[in-house]
Amino acid sequence: MALLLVFFVVPNALLLSTSFLKSEAQQLTGELTLENYGFLFGKSIYQQAFLRTFVVGVCVGMLTVVLGYPLAYFLVRTKSRWKGVLIALSLAPLLASVVVRTYGWYIILNRFGVANDLFLTLGIINERIAFMPSTGAIIIGLAHALLPYTVLTIMGSLNGINPNLEQAAMSLGASRTRTFFHVVLPLSLPGIAGGFILAFSIAISAYATPAILGGPATQVMATAIYGFMTQLLDWSIGAALAVVLIVSSLLLLYAASRIGAKQAAI
Amino acid sequence: MKEKSQTRRELLKRGAALAVAAPYVITARSQETLIVNTQGGEYQELVERVVIRPFEKKFGVKVIHDATGTASQDYAKIRAARGAPGFDVAGLLTPPEVILGVKEGLLEKLTEREVPNLKYLWDKAWQVIPGGSGAPHTLQYAALVYNKEKLDRPRSWADYWEPQKRYGDKIKGHVINYNPANLLSVYALIHGAQLGGGGVDNMDPAWARLKSQKPYVGVVVTGSAEAVPHFENGQVWISPYWSGRSGYYIDRGLPFEMLIPQEGVIGLFDVACVPVGAKNKKLAYEFLNWRLDKDIQRQWALAYFTSPTRSDVADLPAKFAATQIVTKEQMAKTQFPDSDVIGARRKDWTLKWQEIMA
Repeated sequence: MALLLVFFVVPNALLLSTSFLKSEAQQLTGELTLENYGFLFGKSIYQQAFLRTFVVGVCVGMLTVVLGYPLAYFLVRTKSRWKGVLIALSLAPLLASVVVRTYGWYIILNRFGVANDLFLTLGIINERIAFMPSTGAIIIGLAHALLPYTVLTIMGSLNGINPNLEQAAMSLGASRTRTFFHVVLPLSLPGIAGGFILAFSIAISAYATPAILGGPATQVMATAIYGFMTQLLDWSIGAALAVVLIVSSLLLLYAASRIGAKQAAI
Repeated sequence: MKEKSQTRRELLKRGAALAVAAPYVITARSQETLIVNTQGGEYQELVERVVIRPFEKKFGVKVIHDATGTASQDYAKIRAARGAPGFDVAGLLTPPEVILGVKEGLLEKLTEREVPNLKYLWDKAWQVIPGGSGAPHTLQYAALVYNKEKLDRPRSWADYWEPQKRYGDKIKGHVINYNPANLLSVYALIHGAQLGGGGVDNMDPAWARLKSQKPYVGVVVTGSAEAVPHFENGQVWISPYWSGRSGYYIDRGLPFEMLIPQEGVIGLFDVACVPVGAKNKKLAYEFLNWRLDKDIQRQWALAYFTSPTRSDVADLPAKFAATQIVTKEQMAKTQFPDSDVIGARRKDWTLKWQEIMA
């Protein structure tokens, strides 16, 4: 509890108080103001950054669940003697730094990158396309980086399902597909929700991948906060942005957990 | 008796141990440590070879080189730590951070008593930053660079801001633009404004040029070091770029040429400062003085393709000196916009830049 107070509550309280201080020519003054929030909500560029952050979070969460679920299902149900190796392989991306993995996507997606070369060779495109910097590139990079977390979370949920329930459903005449959609999927919903929330939370606060694949012109909240704090040295607006990000993500996570709790109760 | 012999034996043991350890104890106590912050990349190897190692040798001290961060990031550390960021020398600040540091009282005021070599600096240095606020040790400028295998030699900043007029559609995707968080971008934008009769007080002509340049921009970055791979892989053909880094990479085979466009260039002083909470201020002042030593200034200028900040370094090769700011005439031709104004307006300029480039 004391640790939580020192390392979470106190820094956030400082951030909150800074967000209400007026800043003049990069210097904090002692004057209280709501101007910082007015500035953020009044500029379309920051409204877009806010919207883009949550679009990225939701898309990454959904993409990792859609891609991760079949993989997790396969890894849990496979009888292969290589099961351990397969699980290790699917988690192997975690061994490389997220910066390294993101630069891999940079090489693939940039205007003179592998994807453009391939599409030009195949005649799919006539001239080079800028796949990045873009929101799409950020989503791809983050989904790749966060997939192992979702797979692990869903695997935990699938492992907890009693196999006898599936056998019982099928012995009563349900097809394999019906068994999956009426027994396995509902029982694994807590894992899906957990995987989604984990990927969403990390994605909305991610810095490195949006900075590399989005660049300075395709901002999300984290890159905007970094810009104000360490490049423009305007801490009051940086703090206000951070408060907006923390409060809105806490509200969304609370809503998601309430929905998850209702689903579990049903 | 037994007790006495044991005591003697222990004494002998302790004496022997002390004799073996003594040199290390003395070395550890006598060797002072200085923590110097600069930056990484090619700069790290150069500054260690030309400045730091000779300093260690001459003064018999140990320098820990912290090669992380940009100027604004380093100042953010100084501010967050209230003047005690963990390094004794902020070795690579730019004028906007120095001016802010003086206003916020986070940088030590220097005099010729602490740093005697300050008296040899160009007078211009104290017009750019407040007198005694730091030791300006490197002078360079925002040059125009171009890939000489792909383009004809540009003549004007207009060739960068309106590349389609000079080079046509072949330039599409080969122009680079920088976030105004980097001073390089700010200086290029000021040139863009000047082309339309504006300047730091009226940047509207720059925004008009940025809009017309945007369709031809293929790469957007913040840090100037991030641009190097794009120069190397042939994606970027024309760019504003720091004269020091340009000279360094061209010398190593990059097929680029650096030039001073007909409208002239904007100069930049790199400044070393001592944060108020530095642990080893005495040695930090010695390091700043060393950074301004005549011989070190000359060696550094030749190694990093920059100009000395002392006005008395005259024995530079003529061909090299022609590309630098080493004479009164060259200094007079170089622009130094008000860094206080730049610091104050940078947020608005960044916002405008983001709105256009988003």
